[in-house]
Amino acid sequence: MSESQYPDPIRRFLRLFVGNSVVERILISVAALVTAVVVSSLIVLVAGYLSGEAYNPLEIFAVLVNGAFGSPFDLDSARLITEGWSPINFSMGTTLKETTLLIFAGLAVAVAFRGDLFNIGVQGQLVLGGLAAALALVWVAPFVPSGLVGTVLLIPFGLFVGAVVGGLYGAIPGALKAYADANEVITTIMLNTIATGSAFFLVSAYFADPTLQSVKTRPIPDFARLNGIVFPQGGQFSLVALALALLATVGIYYLLRYTSFGYDLRVSGKQAKAALYGGANAERMVVSTMTLSGALGGIAGAMWSMMVIGAWRQGVPSIGFDGITVSVLAGNNPIGVIPASLLFGVLKGGSNAINFQLGVPPELVAVLRGMIILFIAMPEAFRMLGNRLGVKPDPAATAGGGSDE
Amino acid sequence: MSDAPPDGALTRMARWAATVGRIPRLVFGSLLVAAIFGAVINLTMPGSRASTVVGIFDTSFVESTLRIAVPIVFAGLGGIFAEKSGVINIGLEGLLIISAFTAVAVTHLLGGDAQSTVWIGLFAGVLASTLLALVFAVLVIEFKADQIIAGLAVWLVGLGLAPFLSIVIWGNVNSASIATLNTVTVPGLAEIPVVGPILFDASPIVILMLVTILVSWFVLNRTSFGRWIEASGENPSSLDTAGIDVHRVRYIGVVLSGVLSGLGGAGLVVGRTGRFIGGGQTMINGDGFIAITTYLFGNYNPIGTAAAGILFAGLEALQIRLQQIPFIPAPTELIRLVPYVAVIIVLAFVGYTRIPSEVGEHYESGEE
Repeated sequence: MSESQYPDPIRRFLRLFVGNSVVERILISVAALVTAVVVSSLIVLVAGYLSGEAYNPLEIFAVLVNGAFGSPFDLDSARLITEGWSPINFSMGTTLKETTLLIFAGLAVAVAFRGDLFNIGVQGQLVLGGLAAALALVWVAPFVPSGLVGTVLLIPFGLFVGAVVGGLYGAIPGALKAYADANEVITTIMLNTIATGSAFFLVSAYFADPTLQSVKTRPIPDFARLNGIVFPQGGQFSLVALALALLATVGIYYLLRYTSFGYDLRVSGKQAKAALYGGANAERMVVSTMTLSGALGGIAGAMWSMMVIGAWRQGVPSIGFDGITVSVLAGNNPIGVIPASLLFGVLKGGSNAINFQLGVPPELVAVLRGMIILFIAMPEAFRMLGNRLGVKPDPAATAGGGSDE
Repeated sequence: MSDAPPDGALTRMARWAATVGRIPRLVFGSLLVAAIFGAVINLTMPGSRASTVVGIFDTSFVESTLRIAVPIVFAGLGGIFAEKSGVINIGLEGLLIISAFTAVAVTHLLGGDAQSTVWIGLFAGVLASTLLALVFAVLVIEFKADQIIAGLAVWLVGLGLAPFLSIVIWGNVNSASIATLNTVTVPGLAEIPVVGPILFDASPIVILMLVTILVSWFVLNRTSFGRWIEASGENPSSLDTAGIDVHRVRYIGVVLSGVLSGLGGAGLVVGRTGRFIGGGQTMINGDGFIAITTYLFGNYNPIGTAAAGILFAGLEALQIRLQQIPFIPAPTELIRLVPYVAVIIVLAFVGYTRIPSEVGEHYESGEE
């Protein structure tokens, strides 16, 4: 891999993760997760001591997970199941809503990673995709019959607009990387701020809802939103969206695994020279990969607008950054994105419960997020620990996918 | 050099200007032009709208620019040491956040009013940032972690911990107010017009920043340690051959980025704001990422890096000023974006900065 002309942490990263066996990656993710929980528990203990409140980490994590599903287990009494609990409840809706958005954001990051590109810019693609979808729906809705026909027409339209705008915005760092050799890590970080700033400017200057004081677009008409069919309206979660997310996951898996496009993407990520011999256009591959990645991010943004807010407003949550954590935790495997997203969905869905029931700041989830990615960044540490404990690594699994030449 | 013409002050300045690189020349040049232009407008049409706009650029504008520049310049200088030694530190933002928070928290817990507690807070902030940078160094050097992922982790740890602990301490993501450091006035020198109030009646943090810029330049260009840092990033095996421990040099480089970022983050709160704001992206709000761009702009030269940082801070100060002028419909949000757009243009068209060749590469000594 000495032919690379750029600092190639990404390549080394892939060598560490993607090259290794699935089992080892899962083990590393689980080990990182457990360590993150343990360290966060210590932080919670110290924080509780500082603030004079006796926080019990075990209780916090139990309430967190339990709360994410609407408290199916009655933790205070001997009864196992809470009376009157139903799987269809507000907290479950919140958890699955976050999961849905994270699946798209996680897929966006994972696709780029597979092509040896680090798309930190999913957040920006998401912001602009969401804004474009909201504006397009607000403009187009008056010309479309309301009711079911309108819904069937407008929902795909909104998602499509989000995907196109997100994809175009993702293509920018792709083209800069391919044709001007500009490091995509730096450019995507810059483009995130540019997206947030210009979206804020556009809405506050031109597209704000005149009846409101805040920086928010006009509302998307009800029939053009992804409404909760099964889950209570207030939960801001649509089963259709989750189904689309799962479908997208399978689609991306299939695309990467069984199509020639996916083959070129993976090969140009791992072995640029081999891809060239195979006839792939490396530059175009970089742009396509980033476009696909950006489109997925744009869909996440469109879903945020159409499902969660029903408009676009400033202060888009950091779904794109969480997508990085999700993808890293999933070892950049599309299928792995589902459990990783569910995990972060649970963390977010349960953060309200620890706040209301225990008075623990929901920001604890952000601490956990930081710790998880911190420990997942050091697979070697776990491997060394494993060796010291006498676990001999399987030579085939640790050879780094043979990419060490 | 022996046959060079006898050094007049002017030739020496010209030679120096040639060594500092394009960006600082651009910055100093445009400042000079702007100053002359402003003076002309002020003299020819006093009281007009044009002179109101020009009136923005007074000494207090320069002072606020320098204060705003503190986190950007310190983190940028720190980033140079880490990246030159071969470790790209994306986590500067996290180091700034953690040091700003720690400085406020420690000062607050010690009482928060006396100057001595503010100094202790500053020290504690630097310590926190240094420790976090040390963790990062262990991760990437000892455990061969991916530098980008580990850097992101540092950022996310800061972004998670600081607001969480703020709520634990103050019940709010925003802290209570603490005292800030008194300005240092050098008697006599402070009376010099223009330069006096800017340099000799200033926050000690600003003075420290200006000194640090020069010291960093000296260390990198005139000491053997500076050469080790350079070799560690460009050609580590030659450094190894010379008997210098590459890992140790990289440790020092990364830890220095922690110390300097700590001065930036803690200096921001004890020198200017007097509180920590933890909502959204926190009060640091991307300064750490701008810092990365400043050293790319400055091509790893501390003078150029600081010039870029001060330029970006000037844009921020300009935006704040423009908001106060009623007849300017300027999209002030967009002015904030100028540095970010500028970086992309520079990376794309002006030709990218030459990154040290071994950045991001783990170095394995042959002896192991």
